[in-house]
Amino acid sequence: MVKTFDEFPGVEWVENAGDFIKVDSEKCTGCANCIKVCLAGCYEIVKKKARIKTLEKCMECGACWYVCEDDAIEFSWPPGGTGFRTNLG
Amino acid sequence: MIMKTEYDVIVVGAGFGGPVAAKKCADAGLRTLMIERARNAGEKVISGLTIPFYGFLFGPEFIRDGNPPVERPVDGIINYIIKDIEKGDIDIDDSMRVPSPFSPIFAFGYNAYCEALCAWEAQKAVEAGAELRTSTTVTDVIREDGHIKGIVTEGGERLKSKIVIDAEGSQGLLAIRAGVREKYPPEVISLGDTYDYEMPKEDIDRIFGHTLRFCWGWDEQKIAPPLGHGNGLMLWPYRNSLHFIQDQCLRIDQKAVPNLKRLLEEYHHNLTTKLPWWTEDVAPHVTLRARMWEGFEIYVGLKDKLRSMPNYTDGMLLIGDAAGLESTELCDGVPSAWFSADIAADVAIDAINANDTSKGFLKTYNERIKAHPIIQWSISGTNRYNLRIAQENHDEKILKKFIHNAWGLGSLIHLSSPLAKIIFSFIRKDPHIIIKWIRMYFRYYYNWHHERYDTPGNKGGQGRAARGVKVCEATFRLTMWLMDSFIKVFGPLLKVFAAIMIPLSVVASPLMKLLFPIIEPIYLALVKILAPISRPLGKKMIDFVIRADPAIFETPSSRKEL
Repeated sequence: MVKTFDEFPGVEWVENAGDFIKVDSEKCTGCANCIKVCLAGCYEIVKKKARIKTLEKCMECGACWYVCEDDAIEFSWPPGGTGFRTNLG
Repeated sequence: MIMKTEYDVIVVGAGFGGPVAAKKCADAGLRTLMIERARNAGEKVISGLTIPFYGFLFGPEFIRDGNPPVERPVDGIINYIIKDIEKGDIDIDDSMRVPSPFSPIFAFGYNAYCEALCAWEAQKAVEAGAELRTSTTVTDVIREDGHIKGIVTEGGERLKSKIVIDAEGSQGLLAIRAGVREKYPPEVISLGDTYDYEMPKEDIDRIFGHTLRFCWGWDEQKIAPPLGHGNGLMLWPYRNSLHFIQDQCLRIDQKAVPNLKRLLEEYHHNLTTKLPWWTEDVAPHVTLRARMWEGFEIYVGLKDKLRSMPNYTDGMLLIGDAAGLESTELCDGVPSAWFSADIAADVAIDAINANDTSKGFLKTYNERIKAHPIIQWSISGTNRYNLRIAQENHDEKILKKFIHNAWGLGSLIHLSSPLAKIIFSFIRKDPHIIIKWIRMYFRYYYNWHHERYDTPGNKGGQGRAARGVKVCEATFRLTMWLMDSFIKVFGPLLKVFAAIMIPLSVVASPLMKLLFPIIEPIYLALVKILAPISRPLGKKMIDFVIRADPAIFETPSSRKEL
């Protein structure tokens, strides 16, 4: 199944991408860098810790992973054939 | 059925670089597997933009001599230097333009959509005999006594190979996992926020022609992303669409990470509501079709520590962005991905033939990357990086100088030596390359005009007969024949001349720097003076190309392909 969002036209997300990005709440200090750079709004802060709100609009850019000062974000690629796709890149 | 789980070469990633390596290995008779995590090659690659001429001229043969799908030839850049957006105080630097009558046939580069071009490349690799497995994510490498011996897929499948070529892009998850290099820090990563707008071709032809538009401005105007972060707003005309990118580094040096989500939205809003040419010329004609983004490495080449990170290990080679080869100034990664893929394939073939895939043998790859004049030039340009100095001091003079030297005619100063060196290197190998280069330019323009690409189901331009341009065709054929005959007779001499010029090319840039203050005004004045003659001549040349029989522009391999 494929999802689209009006907010981000021209891009589709193939479902079943799973939890390919994870936040280690033990390591997270709540600096919110991930929220500042995520254009898809994947993150939220709950009780001074970042956590994944949803990955359904993630474009797998890795910006959150690069800016995490606590090394709390584990970034991997989603399973083959899932996640975002576009022919307009 | 026995599953074939042993390969000579496994290429991870079917973006721009991966298929080039896979095709060359397959052409050499190696059992080659290309693995792509997306369902189709190129559909996770953002963003296309302009692939400069040197990628095509000095890159893979099958691209230069083929008929790849491109969106529009590019003839230069108009830089808008926005000093005060509220007052409409904007300067222009449009010095980097291919002059008439050469523009736009002798293009500065070609704009392309990633998916279309990467899929075309991947198809060529498959036709050469490479196996393509899509929808498969590679999660690890197989190690035996510290030597990389293959890869592991998400399902735990172990696929063995003599060499793994990692072409997975900037993030380099596999390279990090394999212990070849480290994760890049955020200050060398840029977030490219991309919009794709539909626009009728006739409006693009009229308003943009073949010219890119870049915007640069001061932070406080929030009209073009802060120069300190490295980049401005850039607009690329495609065939029926405009590709719009604003990008910024994730942070400047060790400073705090800015709120890029808020800033990029603010810049986009300001730009599309305040920039006069956008609101007046563009806005009435465009419809937003797509929005997407990508995090790509941009300044790896400028940091000694990062630049010297290994790009190979026992049984493994990194290419393109995975190896940190994105251009630091023009921000293009495709030419270096193509060059490094070509080199990686050569080294892999030699290593397998020599039955030695150890680090000791593969170090040749690194040596050849370090010796490649265009790769090294493209990852060492500092004008974009140094825009932060202009920003900090609010110094308009410095700002204009850096822009002129990176995206204006001043860029020739730094490019002269590497360009001369690679041109003479190619001529020394085979002077006939000059004819291939000329044919490529004419064929690419014809292909673009008629949408005649070597893609499945494309029939554009096939079977066209020459119409009313017999004399021009005969002249073109005669010119090519004369050049060919000249090269046949004087080829050995040309090779000697090129061999002498290669070491001398080192003086081209210093000489250009010395003479540039004299050359530039003379050149610009000549372009202006000759315009009444050169422009009509240019129009005639375009008229000839689009009406000609495309067979006259083909090289032997491109003819075979169609």
